[in-house]
Amino acid sequence: MSPLDNQTSSTTLPPPPPPGSNAAAAVVGASKVYGSGDSAVYALNDVSVEFRKGEFTAIMGPSGSGKSTLMHCIAGLDELTSGDAYVDGVNLAKLNDKDLTVLRRTKIGFIFQAFNLVPTLTAEENIKLPLLLGNEDGDAEWIARIIETVHLRDRLTHRPSELSGGQQQRVAVARALASRPSIIFADEPTGNLDSTTGTEILTFMRRAVTDLGQTIVMVTHDPVAAAYADRILFLADGKVVDEMREPTAAKVLDHLKSLGN
Amino acid sequence: MFRIALKGVLARKGRLILTSIAVVLGTAFLSGTSVFTATLNRTFDNLFSDVFKNVNAYVRSTEVVDTDFGFQERQRIETSLVDVVAEVPGVDAAAANLQAFARIVGKDGKPLGNEGNGPPTFGSSVVDSKADIWQMSQGRFPEGMNEVALDEASAEAGKFVLGDTVKVITAVGSQEFTLVGIANYGDVRSPGGATFALWDVDTASSLLAKPGLIDAVIVVGDGTMTDEELTAQIQAALPTGKNLETITGAQITKETQDDIKTALSFFGILLTIFAFIGLGVGSFVIYNVFSISAAQRQRENALLRAIGASRRQVTLSMLMEALAVGLVGSVLGLLGGIGLSAGLTALLKAIGVDLPSSGLVVGTNTIVQTIIIGLIVTVVSALLPAFRAGRVPPLAAMRDTALDTAGKLRVRLVLGGTPLLGGVALIGAVIGGARTELLGLAILFIFIGALTLGPLVARPVALTLGRPIASLRGVTGRMARQNAARNPKRTSRTAAPVLIGVALVTAVTALAASIQAEIRGVFGEQFTGDFTISSEAQGFGGLSPSLALDVAKIDGVKQATGIGQSVVEVEGKGRFITVINPKTVEGIFDIGLLDDAKVTSLSKSGVLVSEKTAERDNLTNGSTIPAKLSDGTQVDLVVEGVYANDQLAGRYTVSSELFEGTTVSRFDFGVYILKTEGTDSAALRSDLQKLVDSYGSGTLLSKDEYIDKQAAQVNQLLGLIYGLLFLSIIIAIVGIIITLLLSVYERQREIGLLRAVGMTRGQVRSTVRWESVITSLIGAVTGILLGFVLGYVVILSLRDQGITKFELPISSAVTILIVAFVVGVLAAAYPARRATKVDVLAALNTM
Repeated sequence: MSPLDNQTSSTTLPPPPPPGSNAAAAVVGASKVYGSGDSAVYALNDVSVEFRKGEFTAIMGPSGSGKSTLMHCIAGLDELTSGDAYVDGVNLAKLNDKDLTVLRRTKIGFIFQAFNLVPTLTAEENIKLPLLLGNEDGDAEWIARIIETVHLRDRLTHRPSELSGGQQQRVAVARALASRPSIIFADEPTGNLDSTTGTEILTFMRRAVTDLGQTIVMVTHDPVAAAYADRILFLADGKVVDEMREPTAAKVLDHLKSLGN
Repeated sequence: MFRIALKGVLARKGRLILTSIAVVLGTAFLSGTSVFTATLNRTFDNLFSDVFKNVNAYVRSTEVVDTDFGFQERQRIETSLVDVVAEVPGVDAAAANLQAFARIVGKDGKPLGNEGNGPPTFGSSVVDSKADIWQMSQGRFPEGMNEVALDEASAEAGKFVLGDTVKVITAVGSQEFTLVGIANYGDVRSPGGATFALWDVDTASSLLAKPGLIDAVIVVGDGTMTDEELTAQIQAALPTGKNLETITGAQITKETQDDIKTALSFFGILLTIFAFIGLGVGSFVIYNVFSISAAQRQRENALLRAIGASRRQVTLSMLMEALAVGLVGSVLGLLGGIGLSAGLTALLKAIGVDLPSSGLVVGTNTIVQTIIIGLIVTVVSALLPAFRAGRVPPLAAMRDTALDTAGKLRVRLVLGGTPLLGGVALIGAVIGGARTELLGLAILFIFIGALTLGPLVARPVALTLGRPIASLRGVTGRMARQNAARNPKRTSRTAAPVLIGVALVTAVTALAASIQAEIRGVFGEQFTGDFTISSEAQGFGGLSPSLALDVAKIDGVKQATGIGQSVVEVEGKGRFITVINPKTVEGIFDIGLLDDAKVTSLSKSGVLVSEKTAERDNLTNGSTIPAKLSDGTQVDLVVEGVYANDQLAGRYTVSSELFEGTTVSRFDFGVYILKTEGTDSAALRSDLQKLVDSYGSGTLLSKDEYIDKQAAQVNQLLGLIYGLLFLSIIIAIVGIIITLLLSVYERQREIGLLRAVGMTRGQVRSTVRWESVITSLIGAVTGILLGFVLGYVVILSLRDQGITKFELPISSAVTILIVAFVVGVLAAAYPARRATKVDVLAALNTM
């Protein structure tokens, strides 16, 4: 039996409907539990969220609030204990490892905090990696446009060790965009960068949403980074506790202070 | 610090086991060899002390001809001595002993046993006496010219029962006998798998030696005096001036045991060489594993340094780990070796070598030797990585790890290039006429050079070999290619075992191909006949000399000649000499006589010598060579000619007439046949075959078949070397597996990332597999190149032996490449599976 059955909130309700057609990804009644019985720990506790197409969402919250778990579960890297995760209308629970891998390759882009690139491949190969893995050519014009946007044209034959941290993250952004995924997940993408380079990366991400119509979900601690998003979800103790639209850094800071109290 | 080292070892049991495996393989073969040889020695010791347990004295001739090859011919003694000895006070029983070549022909017309390669086939005298070793288990002792007894194993193998007719081939031809008895040799059915036909003493003498002659007298005392006293008594009673000696039972036991040990020691030495090559190859694996583990632990070691551990302490802790690994590996290797030797013993039994079982002999020296050598090899292999670990600066704790460069390029280029060029220069010098012995040094230099330069060439070679894979296999191939090239030191160390094994095999294959080409050339030129009847018995027995005479009588045969071999003592040393029939050999075999000498005029005590022998010993026509035949006959051989082609004839060639009137048993190793012009070959062949069948021994071959067969003998050498290849392949596979496992462990984050952005498990596997294939191919390709050089060098060193053709074994090289490919795929199986099991989230979370 699912530990969720102890919860009064969801057991009596009918199963929630699948997400609407303008959602790039969503979770419905999502819970992630480690351990069982008294020692059960809820990393996610009955979370339902939608990420609309063409929207830039930031997820904030203290360490252990479940924000990374939420992202991993929607991205098909981790499994929910109960509830459903959807990407592009597909229920991830129905997919085996192979299908999940293909889904990640074709529908999802990733930007990690560090170690984003395969050290043995050139910048260009890293950018095209998901396409190469799928043995696809991709949209050459689109890729050229991305490379132009992130200013990497003269760095394409370099290997990651020959690139600066900022350049490496730009390659990672370009890779995430290369296959025109339905949604891009970014996990603290500027966490390892100085503020100037960080700003540059965030600007690229913003432009990818505004100019190119991409969907991005970003996990971050940084109020300044979060202010680039269209909306912010605040997580605490495995639950979505608040949401903010049209954020600014100042508003975010204030909000975090209020949460702290 | 010791405790830290110990904890380090225990905390990483996986790595401990991996490293130990490399030690286990090397030491297992060593201890297996040691246990096996000790067991074999003990078995024969037991067998002969059992056989001679009732023997108190042994009378034989003092005249003996020894050769370089441990082959010994002792002069025979008169049968009448048995009665003389039997009369000596203190003697209870005396029996004749005679043993020589004889082959039992099975009911299907084929001789029993494996001619050439199997245990020997004997005929022997047997007598109903306490002093005889043979005892009848069925029937009775044979008597007279028409009765024979067989050892139990042969009777069973040939499905013979009492009353059957048995055909036996001896020096005087083949004859049929009635089987009247089946015998045991002491407690065994047949000693060491040999076959025995047994006759009464007089029959045995006339068939195996000459009437009236036996090998020795076996004496059993009546217990009234010690063996020494008995021996002295008998010696005193023997006629003087006949070169006779009496030794005690203990002495003959010891002598026989020592003879067997000497014969077996070649085998033991060979196995030990294999074991040490295996250990040497294994040490590369050990060195590699310690290097990788030191690189992976750079952070940890740097942290230890940062918080105050000295260089010495870091180095020592690594060496402690090596000691633990060496100990675990050696103990496991010892146990593995005991198992291996039990397997070998069982294998011997399975192929029909019936030995009395005496249990495995695991001597203290085997245990001590295995463990000490295992420890030394492990610790020495770990020295360099340990010192390097000590040199890690504390600041490295803050850096990312496991970046390995090829070190200081220029230094390495000099360190590796110098011996390589030196080796090449030495080869050049030898081609130019310098001493052949320098080639050994050249090989050593070239190997050292190649292994030192390995890390420098590993990257370009990996990239080149990986190119087709990268273009065929897409991005996984591309990554495999880059992975193989990214740690050039590691890759070259991993490929080194493959390189060494492949180089040795290629060299030997090249040598074999060249020898075969040489043999074909030599036989093609010197043998001008149409058919041969050849015997595979090498140096022991063969074809009866009467066969050649009978062949000559067949219609359609223009000429037939028998060629044999005997042992003659020249200047105190036994020499193999070629024995021909001067009247019939002309026109069939051409040994290239110089200066108008004629083979047909070779006289009874004449000798033809090779050009080299003539030069070395200053011999010209008319020189005399004092010689002693194996029955003790002294002759002064007169040189009557010098010949150029010594590949077949060797150093001395004499006439078969020389042995007339002596007691030397003579055999031909081949009969060479020239047909009358216009005779139908097929018809002649079937006539010849009938004759061969009636003799029951020998193989009839056409000229071409004969030459093929001579060339094929070289393949036996190859078989031996392929055993070695197998050993180094196993070690190479283990080396690749270990390296890949460590690389996979090291690249967890990368694999996690790749899986996250959409690499399937199949693609992960494929990447690891191709990396493994590339690594294995690097070893194979460089090994083949090195092997060609090595093969050329070996052939160069044999130029004085008349081997001059150098043939590149291209087809073998292709086979080796295919094997290397398969090795790569096999070795990757487990590491690839481990790579697919990498937990994506865990890998990502360590970022």
